[in-house]
Amino acid sequence: MKLKRTVLLLLVVAGACTSYAHPEKASTQIAFGTYVAKKGLWREAAFRFEEAVQKAPDNARAHNNLAVALEASGDFARALAEYKKALDIEPSNNYIRRNYARFAEFYTAYTKTTGKASGAP
Amino acid sequence: MLRNAIRRAGAATLTLALAASPALAGVDQVKLRLPLRPKLPLRGNERIALAPFILVSDPEKAKDKRLANIDVQAEFHRFLKKQLEKKTKFDVIETPPDVKLPTQNLSDLARAQEFWAAVGTQTSAELIVSGSLEFRVEDRSGYKSEEYTSPIDGRQYTRQVYVEQTGYVFDIVFLVLDGRTGEKLLQDEFKDFRQTGSKQRDELTGLFENLFSLENQILNTFVPRDREAERYIFTD
Repeated sequence: MKLKRTVLLLLVVAGACTSYAHPEKASTQIAFGTYVAKKGLWREAAFRFEEAVQKAPDNARAHNNLAVALEASGDFARALAEYKKALDIEPSNNYIRRNYARFAEFYTAYTKTTGKASGAP
Repeated sequence: MLRNAIRRAGAATLTLALAASPALAGVDQVKLRLPLRPKLPLRGNERIALAPFILVSDPEKAKDKRLANIDVQAEFHRFLKKQLEKKTKFDVIETPPDVKLPTQNLSDLARAQEFWAAVGTQTSAELIVSGSLEFRVEDRSGYKSEEYTSPIDGRQYTRQVYVEQTGYVFDIVFLVLDGRTGEKLLQDEFKDFRQTGSKQRDELTGLFENLFSLENQILNTFVPRDREAERYIFTD
């Protein structure tokens, strides 16, 4: 009975670890980045997507994900650059195009200064 | 016996590993909160005076009995004062009751630099808010097409049904003026339309539905706000 339980426990632990067993692969970094992004851990997600981009510089999906994570972390200038890279690689990808369009709309409004106040710092 | 146990454990592990797998192939939608910079670069603790607004009304609609009991100016002032006091660190004051607008034309009002500088001196306000307000109730009732299944032959048909609907429109033009120089710092427009499925809806409720939906935009004139956005991320 004890042996059975030990074997089961070892197999469960090993199984759970296999999900991210190849950190050298861009896909592993993307998968883990996505996992943490969904939990709202955007800085960790940005780090993972950055790793993915370094491992696969021509992967438009990795650039897109990095752009989203940078946007969520407030680094808009870099997010813009990453969206552009993603679109350069895969110009016909509708998801990337939609993300870029929405981001561009937000970023234009964000950077626009519409007023001035004499007492402002 | 042991072989069976290992086989079962293997199957369980595979199931768990799949469940623990961070992402299935494809695309996922994620929600982000994006910051919105204030439209005016302020310190955040200025003294701000709420001046009267021009009330815009169509001569025909001015006779609208549904609006007879609503003091749009007073309701808007109360709403704006409450929001600014609650969500900013401004020192919010109202201009004295004897302050009357020099004109009912918005462009001229925005250019009345001497008048605003005098109001600024009188109230010691660094900023003055004024502008124009237009609130309309629109009857949107009419015939609409609807699909229905006949209880006789079970087939689908299209029929015309009369639907009672009321629309509430609130159009606000915001003027923010420098209390020292009387110069216009910002002019911005906020517009909201709400439609309800009933004619019996209370106009005041409609007005506040408009105002609450504009709250974020109005406050964003003075203080940072944020908004939710959706983006796609690839899971593999």
